[in-house]
Amino acid sequence: MGSGMPHYRPPTRSDIAQIDRTGRRILECVGVRILDSTYLDILRKAGARVDCDEQRVRFDGDLLDKVLTRAPSRFTLYSRDGKNDLQLGEGGVYFANGGRVFRILDMKTGGYRLTMLRDVANTATLVERLDHIRFYVIACEVHDMPPRNYHLNDFYHAFNRTAKHVMGGCGDVEGARQMHRLASLIAGGEEKLREKPFVSVITNPVSPLTIEMNTLNVLEFCAAHGIPVTCAPAPISGATAPATLAGTLAQMHAEALAGIAIAQILAPGARVIYSAVPMTMDLRRMELALGSVEMAIMNAATVQLGKHYKLPVYASGGITEAKRPDIQAGVEKSISSLTVAMAGADCVRLAAGILDSGNSISYEQFVIDNEIIGIIHRMLAGIKVTEDTLAFDVIEKVGPGGNYIAEDHTVEHMMTEFFYPELSVRHNFDVWEERGRPNMLSRASDVVRSILRENTEGLLDLDLTAEIARTNPGIYSI
Amino acid sequence: MNDFKALSEAISKGDINKAVAETKSALEAGISAQDILNQGLIATMNEVGDRYSKGLIFVPQMLRSAKTMQECTKLLKPYFQEGDVVSKGQVLMGTVRGDLHDIGKNLVSMMLEGAGFTITDLGVDVAPEIFVEKVREVEPDIVGMSALLSTTMPAMADTIEALQKAGLRKKVKIMIGGAPVTERYAQKIGADAYGSDAGSAVTRAKELLGIDRSEE
Repeated sequence: MGSGMPHYRPPTRSDIAQIDRTGRRILECVGVRILDSTYLDILRKAGARVDCDEQRVRFDGDLLDKVLTRAPSRFTLYSRDGKNDLQLGEGGVYFANGGRVFRILDMKTGGYRLTMLRDVANTATLVERLDHIRFYVIACEVHDMPPRNYHLNDFYHAFNRTAKHVMGGCGDVEGARQMHRLASLIAGGEEKLREKPFVSVITNPVSPLTIEMNTLNVLEFCAAHGIPVTCAPAPISGATAPATLAGTLAQMHAEALAGIAIAQILAPGARVIYSAVPMTMDLRRMELALGSVEMAIMNAATVQLGKHYKLPVYASGGITEAKRPDIQAGVEKSISSLTVAMAGADCVRLAAGILDSGNSISYEQFVIDNEIIGIIHRMLAGIKVTEDTLAFDVIEKVGPGGNYIAEDHTVEHMMTEFFYPELSVRHNFDVWEERGRPNMLSRASDVVRSILRENTEGLLDLDLTAEIARTNPGIYSI
Repeated sequence: MNDFKALSEAISKGDINKAVAETKSALEAGISAQDILNQGLIATMNEVGDRYSKGLIFVPQMLRSAKTMQECTKLLKPYFQEGDVVSKGQVLMGTVRGDLHDIGKNLVSMMLEGAGFTITDLGVDVAPEIFVEKVREVEPDIVGMSALLSTTMPAMADTIEALQKAGLRKKVKIMIGGAPVTERYAQKIGADAYGSDAGSAVTRAKELLGIDRSEE
């Protein structure tokens, strides 16, 4: 990261302190609803104020501070090949795609269809090959298999197609167990997986201020097994949260802190990411507005709230209401991904592939978003100023009226100083015509075709695949 | 067949010192200048050109290699007899009257030079009569004209007309280029070729002089 990294911090430090105070006040006075008596018991024993009739858990400030300090401020989301180990809390910004959509824009037909198991494999393949997308979130629901062994299958096909860190939802603890059994087998044992977890799990409370039993079961299972986990509220301003951005953030902060606190009570030291997806609606017709500028601002503020507790932060950018990879998609994605990156998020999720308010994906959009993210990474790297980059010697050598095209200095620096887009069209007019008038989308389609054509084999080695198939007969092939 | 691997690598990398040293030691080892030129330098530049066409290297790297090759060629010159062809052709380059832009023209000049042409650069804002005078003096194979502005483009036609009046038009090939210039415009004003970018300018120049790979 360059020293010139620009920071975007929409609320001031004192505003953040006020939002934090309000969030804590919500946890103390209003509390969260927990829909399970076992967990109510556990939390009471840990010192929370529990009202069993209301199923309400309230956290006093002291308890909150005590348990939150157990949460690590740095940890690593491992890749399987060591090439994309993501050190959270060290200042790096890592982008990922988004998950659990149900529809895909199929460019072959130009129409939309339900997502299939092969779409998990294909999107994992794309992410494996797209350099700027640093980890893979299981991208879509699978509609062409029965529910039994569901998470065995989506995680298997993800692991088989990318060695990057994989993150996904598990539905319930049975799904988490399927994932964990599989991942342990791939890691070479449960302890090895705990030591270097190359998979993590997303859970979500329900806004406003409710956490379901399934969510807690998965959270507990992951926390206990050393699997990094998120518990990401997704409040919607004006619908499941107040219509004010500050109010939405205060409620979201309370929800996020509750998830982390509970994880630390269940398994002290659990690797939990401060994560949230504050969202907006267009109140004119109550339509989701995940590409809105307000959503971008709130996600930047989310980073500030998480960093207030020195926790790794997982916020969202790059979502759009656009139904195709079009101008709206380009505008909304660029602005929100940049905003959240400039706020210093450790992870920016939903930032690749997503269309249609997070209901659809398109392969081409993964490739286009990869380029947007590449541009943002270059922006974050800033301008390197050293004796060498100041270039006095070569300026003196070339002198007035010369040029720098074939100087050593040029060749030495040209690869690192510039971001070279693969999709943006920079041909002059005639070359552009000669090449058949390409544009970003046509080029993205070319990239998709070549990646999927060249990567038809799975990454897991054959012995391991055979062993997995033997011990897990429920795996479907694509 | 001689082994030019080290020389070839040095040229590919644009390492002038290493390439010059390799050329010297090849000469000292008694390898003929013609072999060094053909099997060492030109063969490598062809590979470099291929890699550029495939997008594997960038313009500065290609030019760097070209510059390296030129330095090596200088060492070979004393070994060539009168009549041995070292240059691919003589090109007179200039930005036309009223136009002060020279980046495109310079880039084309460097690429042509890298491809083995000899360049005489007249600079910017070159009036038709100056082109005429210099064509008489230098006797180039090709005249290259550049313009960035649609308002200065007509000076290309004026220059061609002036060459015609001076009776020199048939003695040279004329190539034009620049942002507003098109193939159609080149045909309209009676130029022989149009290059849409620096790379294609080299290709066109070779075509104009009937140079192809097999002759290299």
